[in-house]
Amino acid sequence: MAAAPDGGGPGPAAGEPLLQRRDSGQGSPEPPAHGKPQQGFLSSLFTRDRSCPLMLLKTLETNPYVKLLLDAMKHSGCTVNKGRHFSCEDCEGNVSGGFDASTSQIVLCQNNIRDQAHMSRVVTHELIHAFDHCRAHVHWFTDVRHLACSEIRAASLSGDCSLVNEIFRLHFGLKQHHQTCVRDRAVLSILAVRNISREEAQKAVDDVFESCFNDREPFGRIPHTKIYAQYAHRDFQNRHRYYSNI
Amino acid sequence: MSLSVTRGLDMAVAGSWQPPRPCEDYRAEWELCRSARHILHHYYVHGEQPDCRQWLRDLASCREWEESRSPEAQRSLCESEQTRVQAAQKHSLVWTLRQRPPADWNLPLPQERDK
Repeated sequence: MAAAPDGGGPGPAAGEPLLQRRDSGQGSPEPPAHGKPQQGFLSSLFTRDRSCPLMLLKTLETNPYVKLLLDAMKHSGCTVNKGRHFSCEDCEGNVSGGFDASTSQIVLCQNNIRDQAHMSRVVTHELIHAFDHCRAHVHWFTDVRHLACSEIRAASLSGDCSLVNEIFRLHFGLKQHHQTCVRDRAVLSILAVRNISREEAQKAVDDVFESCFNDREPFGRIPHTKIYAQYAHRDFQNRHRYYSNI
Repeated sequence: MSLSVTRGLDMAVAGSWQPPRPCEDYRAEWELCRSARHILHHYYVHGEQPDCRQWLRDLASCREWEESRSPEAQRSLCESEQTRVQAAQKHSLVWTLRQRPPADWNLPLPQERDK
């Protein structure tokens, strides 16, 4: 599973433990064993965390990052169905969410998602993994460089490493700090789901960074704010005209 | 002259070529590029200031083409956009792209299959 570390708002700093579904033990990429059952979309409406489905719905309907990703995935043959491809669950640790490639499902950790903005960022992050899974043969479980690549892209393009979020994490840096954040968070995400050393994770990130940091699909740019995401969506919708006339 | 530019000229002769983007999109990109906020974002990512001049050149070419159907304006726009596309594609991908989406994308979840 590819995971989204928490942070990027008041609260836990980066470096806290990452996604582990309660019944998977190690945060491994294998499908979770039968333990605490996953909450279905409808049943979670009636629990104390029923805001997760409602926040998810609002994100899917209004967030420009997410709307572009959903459009791009539909164009690639992976139409996203809210009930099938999302699950609101309680998770161990401070992780916010994850993408389970074995089931093509995005897990949202309802006990750790703080507010609407956080929900939007987590959904964006996980949809980038899902988009990569849809458009490419990503060897999630057998090639740590592939995992690193998707984590680099997710950290860079979801807003995880925005200047504001880094300041909230008390990481103060300006000149090219975005790249430092992307590298660090990609390593954290890898360590959450792979039993490898930090050095191995760092090497994988370093090996693929140049290629994956510059792969800005489907945005075509780093969407620093919603305006950038709206422009990127506009360009995506215009792509036929664009490629027909260059 | 590149093949796509000659094809573009053929399209212009046939009356079917148009700028790759509406002219207002070039203006919007230029204004975004030169905004204080973008200068900050660009420095945060790349450690330097952005170069917004090409957006302004493209805006001028787009308007010139709209006014006079200038072949030079068309050529300029095509070359500019081809440069952008090539810049975005210059790094080889880590993975292989799929020809088809994953076969199991919409299969029922395991616990639903077991019911």
